[in-house]
Amino acid sequence: MGKADHNTDGTVRMSLQTLRVLEVFLENPTEQRSGADVHQACGIASGTLYPILLRLEAAGWFVSRWESIDPSTAGRPRRRLYRLTSTGQRRASEIFASFSRGILT
Amino acid sequence: MSQLNEREQLSEHEREIMAAGVNEGWLDRCCRRLIHGAARKAPATLSERLEEEWQADLATRRSAASRLRFALGCCWATRVIAREHFAPLPAANAALSAKSWGSKLAFLNFGPQSRLLSRRSIALMVVVCLHVGVFYALMSGLAYNITKVIPAVMQTQIIDEPHPRDVLPPLPPPSLTVPSVKSENLFLPLHSIPIQEPPDKADVALPPSQTEPLSSANGEMSSPPTTHVVSRVQGGPGQGFPNPDEYYPMVARHLQEEGVATVRVCVDPRGRLTSDPTTVESTGSARLDAGALQLARAGSGHYRSSLEDGKAVNSCYSFRVRFQLKN
Repeated sequence: MGKADHNTDGTVRMSLQTLRVLEVFLENPTEQRSGADVHQACGIASGTLYPILLRLEAAGWFVSRWESIDPSTAGRPRRRLYRLTSTGQRRASEIFASFSRGILT
Repeated sequence: MSQLNEREQLSEHEREIMAAGVNEGWLDRCCRRLIHGAARKAPATLSERLEEEWQADLATRRSAASRLRFALGCCWATRVIAREHFAPLPAANAALSAKSWGSKLAFLNFGPQSRLLSRRSIALMVVVCLHVGVFYALMSGLAYNITKVIPAVMQTQIIDEPHPRDVLPPLPPPSLTVPSVKSENLFLPLHSIPIQEPPDKADVALPPSQTEPLSSANGEMSSPPTTHVVSRVQGGPGQGFPNPDEYYPMVARHLQEEGVATVRVCVDPRGRLTSDPTTVESTGSARLDAGALQLARAGSGHYRSSLEDGKAVNSCYSFRVRFQLKN
C-alpha cells in the first residue's frame, strides 16, 4: 500500500487526523472498529479517514479483517474491522507520550 | 463476539435501510454508484475490498446528505489511495520518526522534511493566487487600460466674451418735444379740489442752464445734454484661474462629450464671486454644464474685475468654457 506516506520500517506520516484516529483506537486498544465507527468517534470525513486507515494498516500499525457475520442473516453487509497491532499500540503510545494531550483537543 | 453482537444490535437502522432497499431513493442509488465507480478506480488489489467496505459503511449513515458526503469522500479517498499506492518512494522519506515528532511538532506537517504541501494545499494556493491575480488586474491592469481608452490630450479653452468697445460713442442729441399743455387740461376741474396755486415761473430762481430750455417757446431743447463717456474694461478669468482640464468631468471624457458653456459670474473689485455663477448657454450636456459651473466657482478670487475709468468695480459678465477632446 502507500509507499509515499509510510515506510517499510513502520513510520507513518503523521497528521492531526492520523493522531485523532490513533486516539480513538487507543481508548480501547483491543477493540475492533470499522471506518464508520471511527467516523462517529472523531468525525473525520471518509475522504481522509480511509486513506489513513489503509496507510496505518500498510505500515503495520493496524490489522483488519472482515466482520464474521452472514450478510443475508444479519440483513446488512459485513464490515471491515480494524484493530491496533502491538507495534501500532506501542508506536502510537510513544507519539502521545511525546505530546501534550491538550494539543489534540 | 460480544462486541459483534452489540454491533449487530446497534445496526437496526442499517437493517431497516437494507430491508427498504426496494424503496431506495435515487440519491442512495447515486451514492452507491459513486462508491462503485470510486472503488473501481482504486488499485486492483484493493478495489473489491474497498467497495464492500464502503458500501457497508454507507449503510450506517442516517441522512441522505451524510450518505452523499460519504460517497463523495470515497471518491476523494480513492484518488489519495491510488496516488499513495503508485507513488515512488522518495529518497528522503517524508515520514518522521516518532521520537522526533515531539521536538519538531511535525504533526502539523510544516516540518522541512515532511510533505509540505498536500494536493489540497496546492489547490488552495492556486485558488488564492487566482484571486490575487484578479484583484491585481482590477486594481492596476484594468484601470490602466481604461486610462488608455481616454484620449490623453485634451484641450479646454476659456473664451472671453467679445469685449465691448471701451469708449462708448457719444449719444446723439435728443430731440425731445415737450408739448405745451396747460395743467388745467390734464386734471379734473380745479374748482372741486383746493389746490394751492404754484408761484409764477418768473419767480422761481433757476440756474441759467436750466432756465433756458424751459423758457423756450415750444419746450424744445435747444442744446444737447452733457454726456459723460465712461471708459469700461470688462473683466474675465485672470491670473491663477484654475486649469479647466481639471474640471472636465470624467464621465463626459469617457463619453467623449464636448461643448461650449457660457457662464455668467458676478465679481467684486477683488475678483471674488459675489453670487453663484449661472449657466447662460448650455453645452447640451448637464455634466459639462456642471463642470463649467464648478470651474467658475473654483475661480473665485482669480477673476479680473471690470474697470470703469480705470477703477475696479462690481460687475457681472459672461465667459465661455469650451470642453473639447483633442485626439
